[in-house]
Amino acid sequence: MDKAAKLSKRKSVSYAKWGYLFILPFFLVYFVFTLYPQLLTFYNSLFENYMDGLTHVGPNFVGLGNFVKLFSPDATGSITIIKYFGNTVVLWILGALPQFIFALILALFFTSTRLKIKGQGFFKAVIYMPNLIMAAAFAMLIFGLFGNTGPINKMLVAANMPTFDFLAEKISVRGLIALMNFLMWFGNTTILLMAGIQGIDECLFESARIDGASSTRVFFDVTLPLLKPILVYVAITSMIGGMQMYDVPQVLTNGYGMPDNTSSTMVMLLNKYLNPSRNYGMSGAISVILFAITGILSLIVLKATNKED
Amino acid sequence: MSDVQLKNIMKIYPYTEAKKEKKSLFGKKKEEKPEHHTAHLQKTEKGVIAVQQFNLDIKDKEFIVLVGPSGCGKSTTLRMVAGLEEISEGELYIDGELVNVVEPKDRDIAMVFQNYALYPHMTVYDNMAYSLKIKKLPKDEIDRKVREAAEILDITQYLDRKPKALSGGQRQRVAIGRAIVRDPKVLLMDEPLSNLDAKLRNQMRAEIIKLRQRINTTFIYVTHDQTEAMTLGDRIVVMKDGYIQQIGTPQEVFDHPRNLFVAGFIGTPAMNTFDAKLVKEGDKYYVEIENEKVELSKEKEERLLANNVESQDVILGIRPDHIQITDKGISGKVDVSELMGTSSHLHMTVMGKDCIAIIPNNGETVNYMGKDIHISFNGNVAHVFSKADDKNLEY
Amino acid sequence: MNNNAKAKSKLLLSRTVAYLVLIFLSVLCLFFFYLMILNSSHSNFELQGSFTFKFGKFFADNFNNAWNDASIKIPRGMLNSFLIAIISAVLNVYFSALTAYGIYAYDFKLKKIADAFIIAVMMIPSQVSTVGFIQLAYKYNLTNKLWLLIVPSIAGPATYFYMKQYLKATLPLEIVEAARIDGSNEFVTFNRIVLPVMKPAIAVQMIFSFIASWNNYFTPSLLLTKAEYKTVPIMIAQLRSADYSKFDLGKMYMFIMLAILPVMIVYIILSKSIIKGVTSGSVKG
Repeated sequence: MDKAAKLSKRKSVSYAKWGYLFILPFFLVYFVFTLYPQLLTFYNSLFENYMDGLTHVGPNFVGLGNFVKLFSPDATGSITIIKYFGNTVVLWILGALPQFIFALILALFFTSTRLKIKGQGFFKAVIYMPNLIMAAAFAMLIFGLFGNTGPINKMLVAANMPTFDFLAEKISVRGLIALMNFLMWFGNTTILLMAGIQGIDECLFESARIDGASSTRVFFDVTLPLLKPILVYVAITSMIGGMQMYDVPQVLTNGYGMPDNTSSTMVMLLNKYLNPSRNYGMSGAISVILFAITGILSLIVLKATNKED
Repeated sequence: MSDVQLKNIMKIYPYTEAKKEKKSLFGKKKEEKPEHHTAHLQKTEKGVIAVQQFNLDIKDKEFIVLVGPSGCGKSTTLRMVAGLEEISEGELYIDGELVNVVEPKDRDIAMVFQNYALYPHMTVYDNMAYSLKIKKLPKDEIDRKVREAAEILDITQYLDRKPKALSGGQRQRVAIGRAIVRDPKVLLMDEPLSNLDAKLRNQMRAEIIKLRQRINTTFIYVTHDQTEAMTLGDRIVVMKDGYIQQIGTPQEVFDHPRNLFVAGFIGTPAMNTFDAKLVKEGDKYYVEIENEKVELSKEKEERLLANNVESQDVILGIRPDHIQITDKGISGKVDVSELMGTSSHLHMTVMGKDCIAIIPNNGETVNYMGKDIHISFNGNVAHVFSKADDKNLEY
Repeated sequence: MNNNAKAKSKLLLSRTVAYLVLIFLSVLCLFFFYLMILNSSHSNFELQGSFTFKFGKFFADNFNNAWNDASIKIPRGMLNSFLIAIISAVLNVYFSALTAYGIYAYDFKLKKIADAFIIAVMMIPSQVSTVGFIQLAYKYNLTNKLWLLIVPSIAGPATYFYMKQYLKATLPLEIVEAARIDGSNEFVTFNRIVLPVMKPAIAVQMIFSFIASWNNYFTPSLLLTKAEYKTVPIMIAQLRSADYSKFDLGKMYMFIMLAILPVMIVYIILSKSIIKGVTSGSVKG
């Protein structure tokens, strides 16, 4: 090796030091404040460890005991975590279905060269706005508006219609949660899908139109198949977000998931074990399950997006 | 199969639409069409006028070529005929029927796009069959038509492939195939050859001529390449800055360019121009340049006379192949001589300007490099253009 | 009717439908917040009575009542939330950008692994670490410490991802090399040359980070138990457990409005760049 090569090699090594230095704070903080707690969560899931009033029980190693407990039926024969998981999925679907349908329709409107929608900036700004609203405050607002003495019921009275106890019926509580999730997310999805559609070569739409395809056919034959990877990505990330649903149902139902826990979600269950009994064992086990579900969903995203390249 | 009429067509791009953001992180960044930026388009309070005063009657089965530099409005015009672009003003008739706002799908036209626009998720067969499927043709008829077209274009062996697996030339054929399977009333082609390399382009050009003989339809073909325009078109429409400059057969446009722009754009190498004097003596017209005085041909004299053209300073245009080397005449100096085989291209400086002459070799090759020479021309090939407005004085 | 006229009326019809759908959804988005502002201008007495679309005169009273409430100290809550959100946003963006630059601009052995690691952990729900986090907080007596909610934001995988995409698209390494030849220290280069180049990305991510932190409810609700450390979302959730027969509803709507207001103000000013930021960086480009 000649001198110049040696010199340049040494130089590149000395720059590497900067690379390590720059990423150090990030990783240090991530390891201490996120990764270590995550591992601790997993570790906890194998132990009995909670507060019973003021006495601390555990930690005692119980193996998969916490998981067994989670999946054992209660007095009425239903398995809480399965029920809550079901709730979470139902609540997600109720919100996500209209969210995706309307987002697709709106994205098509906005990108249509034929419709030439005016005021796009305004419409986009309005429909995206709920996404930034504090979910807890939004839920509280909906609670106030749809409560027994709230303005919505008063409007019903004014319109000579029967009042409705929105927060007592399964269908309406779930409906309200879905409505809020829909409002909070359809604008975001619209914007993402719009970008997706704009990423498709415009000539393909033009070509299809010249081939004689109606707007409906252009949509099903060209737009949808070419949008598929992005749709899958958006759908699965929405599902992952849906699994973590908490603020809205928690505040709307004051944590009770009424009626009869039909609107209680997975993270609400996690919260129940943490607050106030700080049951690290059971909550750890729930976290592991949550992690597994989202992990599988993430892998699907990764596969779906990688296939296209 | 159909005639097309464009009556006073106009296209205005409102300023708000001109700069739409088309960025996307999902796909690659869209290429901006340079059309609106390079040209000197007229601007009004309504917007940029991309096309105006466009009047053209296209006859049934005619092959029309729209040609001009980028930004001249040729593609916009084609897209208006296709229905992809809104017509701001004017009327468009296909087969005598007004179709200004009729959707492309109901115009019974086909189009070959510059970048082919093949559906990436469909096989070649499905790409070609797509329009027929939409028409709900019986399966066996679709199959017959697709295979027939594939046969014509020699792409039968690729029918099961996806566009990704094809070369540029093959994709081009598929794009043409897709257009011809449906026997359209009008076949539109938007710079179909510009993405091919030179050799392939020549080959495809010949094939389009052959294709034209096999399928009976009206063609509208857009190109910036004057060679394509000259070789393909029954009539060519030369455009610049949104205006039609001249409509005519290739020969007409070449022999009698209406103005300096057409003269310079059609024909390669471009026509040489000189400052000269047009002199009228009785019924006769002469061009005076340096110490040369050339009488124009009878035909030209008649036209000038009919237009009441008086003596004046003009711009004289001579095509490179019409310049002769003479013993006396306009003096010049050869800077570079390129031997092209049967002829030589002489790059000269004449009257302080660059000038090109094409000299046949006739068996003997003279090396003119660096030599002082004299050139002249005949009265039947001299074009005289007005100094005031660049118009050919014969018109 | 000929084809041309038919096509014209069809286009008109689809355009009308499109606008109607858009207007309906826009109204739906705004309706509840309109009611919120409307109701925050009425007294509790009025709100108990019949509903009206007219604005009331009790806006200022409700504001005073809410602002000076003895049990829910909203000014304190807003200050806490603001401090956490603004410092978190700055740290999050700065260190994520630094990390993105470190991985983008330098060659080192662990570069690829570090990048893949961050991408891999990006999708892990934050709740997974919560259990261990709470346990550690109680173990080391760190509950009710605001900094404990701030420091973890230094490591933001999503922000890192966005920043790296942005660097890839905008920063040619020649600029860095030129600075190096000019004798600039690497750290100075980052602060003086790279950060300014990343300004647009930093602005967008700061906004998103701030809003996310301002709205964050789950982990803070488990950690902040003392009244003087509570953040706005915790206080809002507290409203929910209040006894409604005795509660001043005008004040309640005012509380909700105060919780939403800061974000709305930011949004009204910056909606354009915020919406632009939604698309960029959300998917691998």
